[in-house]
Amino acid sequence: MNTGEATREVFWNISHGWIMYVLLLPTMAIAAYGIWRRFRSWRRGLPVAGRLDRPGERLLHLWNHALLQRHTMRERYSGIFHAMIFWGFITLTIATTVVMLDHDFGLPIMRGRFYLYFQSFFVDLLGLLALIGVAMAGFRRWKTKPVKLVYSDEASWILILAAVILATGFFLEGWRIVVTADPWGTWSPVGYATGFLSAKFFSLDTLTALHRWCWWFHLILVFGFLAWAPFTKMLHPLTSALNIYAANLQPAGASLKTVDFEKAENFGVNRLDQFTWKDLLDLDACTECGRCTEACPAHAVGKSLSPRDIILDLRDTLHRKGGRNEPDTGLIGSTDALRPERLFECTSCAACVDACPVSIEQLPKIVDMRRHKVMEEADFPETMQQAISSLEKRKHPFAGTESSRTDWMRELNLPHASEAQDAEVLVWAGCGTSLVKRNQKSIRSLAELLKKAGVKFAVLGRDEKCSGDVARRIGNEFLFESLAKENIETLKKFNVRRVITSCPHCFNTFRNEYPQLGAPFETFHHSQFLGELIKAGRLKITAASERRIAFHDPCYLSRHNGVTEEPRALLQNTSRNSMRELPRNRRNSFCCGGGGGMSFVDEPPDKRVNRERAEEILATDADTLAVGCPFCTTMMEDGINAAKGDRGIEVKELAELLNEATSGPNPI
Amino acid sequence: MNILVCLKQILDPEVPARDFSLARSHLQADPTCADLVTNIFCENALETALQLRDRHGGRISILSLGPASVEDTLRKGLAMQADAAFMILNDTGHLPDSAATAKALAAAIGKLDRLDLILTGHESGDWGAGQTGGLLAEELGLPFIAFVDEIEETGPDRLILRQQNDSGWQKFSAPMPVVASITNSDHNLPRIPKIRDIILANRKPITSWSLGDLELSPDLFLPEHLLVRVTELTIPQAKGDCAFIEGATKEEKIGKLAEKIAAIARSI
Ligand code: SF4
Ligand code: SF4
Repeated sequence: MNTGEATREVFWNISHGWIMYVLLLPTMAIAAYGIWRRFRSWRRGLPVAGRLDRPGERLLHLWNHALLQRHTMRERYSGIFHAMIFWGFITLTIATTVVMLDHDFGLPIMRGRFYLYFQSFFVDLLGLLALIGVAMAGFRRWKTKPVKLVYSDEASWILILAAVILATGFFLEGWRIVVTADPWGTWSPVGYATGFLSAKFFSLDTLTALHRWCWWFHLILVFGFLAWAPFTKMLHPLTSALNIYAANLQPAGASLKTVDFEKAENFGVNRLDQFTWKDLLDLDACTECGRCTEACPAHAVGKSLSPRDIILDLRDTLHRKGGRNEPDTGLIGSTDALRPERLFECTSCAACVDACPVSIEQLPKIVDMRRHKVMEEADFPETMQQAISSLEKRKHPFAGTESSRTDWMRELNLPHASEAQDAEVLVWAGCGTSLVKRNQKSIRSLAELLKKAGVKFAVLGRDEKCSGDVARRIGNEFLFESLAKENIETLKKFNVRRVITSCPHCFNTFRNEYPQLGAPFETFHHSQFLGELIKAGRLKITAASERRIAFHDPCYLSRHNGVTEEPRALLQNTSRNSMRELPRNRRNSFCCGGGGGMSFVDEPPDKRVNRERAEEILATDADTLAVGCPFCTTMMEDGINAAKGDRGIEVKELAELLNEATSGPNPI
Repeated sequence: MNILVCLKQILDPEVPARDFSLARSHLQADPTCADLVTNIFCENALETALQLRDRHGGRISILSLGPASVEDTLRKGLAMQADAAFMILNDTGHLPDSAATAKALAAAIGKLDRLDLILTGHESGDWGAGQTGGLLAEELGLPFIAFVDEIEETGPDRLILRQQNDSGWQKFSAPMPVVASITNSDHNLPRIPKIRDIILANRKPITSWSLGDLELSPDLFLPEHLLVRVTELTIPQAKGDCAFIEGATKEEKIGKLAEKIAAIARSI
């Protein structure tokens, strides 16, 4: 046989094929209407910059996360079956397009080797993978039933429909192959086997008749599915792709919007049209996979916050008449997931944002709604109010602290930025460090290390004000802006350009948020700066310990800014024993519970995020928990002390550990 | 009801001990050693007034005496939704005593429309003299009730004022106008202003008077004219002491500890 002639007859056994074209029209019209309705509702959102720029990077992002499914694959089981279904259906769509080009447009491409290798073999194989994928999805949905899924009839029907469409496809192929004794039939092994087995039970005439019926049945299912999809979560192949394209390409820590207080008519969000179009697109991109809620630390310890349900409830409101009949009382409180208490349970850890396979940003929406409660209604948890009013009065959130910003620098003789014009860098202590007794030791260690290494640095002492992180996450953007501007002015006055801080929250603010206000600084977390000093030989490890160190990645370092390796490299230097990795590490780290203003909230003992993390740590054989954030230090120390019993384990800040282990050219 | 609330700006009483320092004169605190805040009892007074207005309507004016920085205190009061703000600018650099303060406040009140209720904080977190309310009533020739934590309107011209005392509280019925000094309670925690109101407050006018505008002598606050003068101020030195209780058995240690505590109790 000459493979060059290989092909098959389109519309074999089918008369009145024209009916298909007639049906195609309404199918397309209904689908187009469904898509247009969604599109129209996104357009109600506010404009937002930086979502369609840098097309090259965006296409690459799309390639990685839509086509290659990289993010989806982070979760093994669902990642695999989803990829199988996704690539299967993509291939089947291409195959159908090939048929159309060949048959309807007279392009003779469905021939020869291409027909055999791609159109027959590859398509057959991918179709089978898709079918297996659907079966795996069904097994999960109906058998293992993880809580994170949304158990709706819609979702079940989608799976059933996909299975039936794929199965009938194989029947059609197989019956055609046996009845026509297709000489190329073995190139479609699954179809061939289906036909071969069918022929054992039915006569060829019966199969011919069955084929005709099944063909129309398959067609109607496919068209029905196409028309229905835009009204279901199966619009996500389109919306998720758009959303991945329009993703935030900045670090997650740069995802909160600024507010123009001169012009803004509303502060924060309580109506859909106060969101940006990208926020609204986010809602329709949601695939209901539940990974965000599964990753949420507040949810994990039994609080009712659920980022997935926030997205889905907002989406459902958007869908009701295109979002035009919003609840009169506003979004907040209109559904269970949107209750204000829940919004104020968020630690702003960004685990949800990081977990979402389709680049949905749950956290900025939570903060947007907090902004409404805080700035428009001044109605938010009392402990957070105390932090805010302390910030207003004293420029730090620690109401009642007995420490002064200069306590930690006593006897160190550190020059103030005003009198140290030759300083290489400024050490920014941050309120969480300087005003909490426990953490003064960490920053003293940092200062001692810098002295050992002979680094010329300055400090601000009482001229330092809160970076504004706490105010911003709680939702008081106005206060954030005023604190930020005050700091920026001080820093400009003293010509500061480079800043080291041991607080990842300050780090994030300096690195990602002050630039939004027109003030870029070269910012280092101390782990980065100290690492450089070791590399440059300015600090020498002279007394490595035997500690078994585990590192708790701070959210604002790892997830918000992608800094994960520097602290590890540094810690590894300080001990002769190898480091212990916690089960949830790096970007996957589990929050200490202290971000987003939550460290100022007194939580019920059975619902503490730090407790859950402490137990994870105690299950390892580490004898030292290294931390790199003042909030983590206090949260983890509390959590571990409450849970450790007789177990010997210490919580140590990075700089403390390094300080124990090093010497430098300059004695302190 | 026309209400006036007097607000005093003070150095943050929560200043950490290490930051607190005295001015070179040793007659007052160093004004730069801490942030300036509104005296908390004054904020309680404003909150009490706001709640009265929420229930019965009316108008709230706020008045503050001090250097130019008291504008911040007045702006915050406006943000909490006071209707009008007035300040008596003290740019003399001298600190008035309670009597001189009351005199100045009374002079300013003379410039305002008839008031029905005048509130002050029951004392301030800096000097804590607790005199201004009473002396102001004296200046104005009005009745005065101290330590009030709740006010109810009972008719067109009378109020019921609840006064806290050591053993509980008592209620007074007073004719308007009346002066009261307010203390804190569970229900007059100052409200957090909305951001919109903070922004709007920054645009509202504040009427400012000099001592001359109020026909007061520019020497009113000179130390030699004050009834109460500070002659010396010192920061008490906190002393810590640590002793270990030794003993063979737990009982012995407990016994010794108890003796020790008793001895300390006797000595103070
Ligand atoms: S940011 Fe963290 S705490 Fe907040 S909703 Fe997302 S996962 Fe939950
Ligand atoms: S928001 Fe993202 S992670 Fe959460 S359910 Fe939707 S698609 Fe999944």
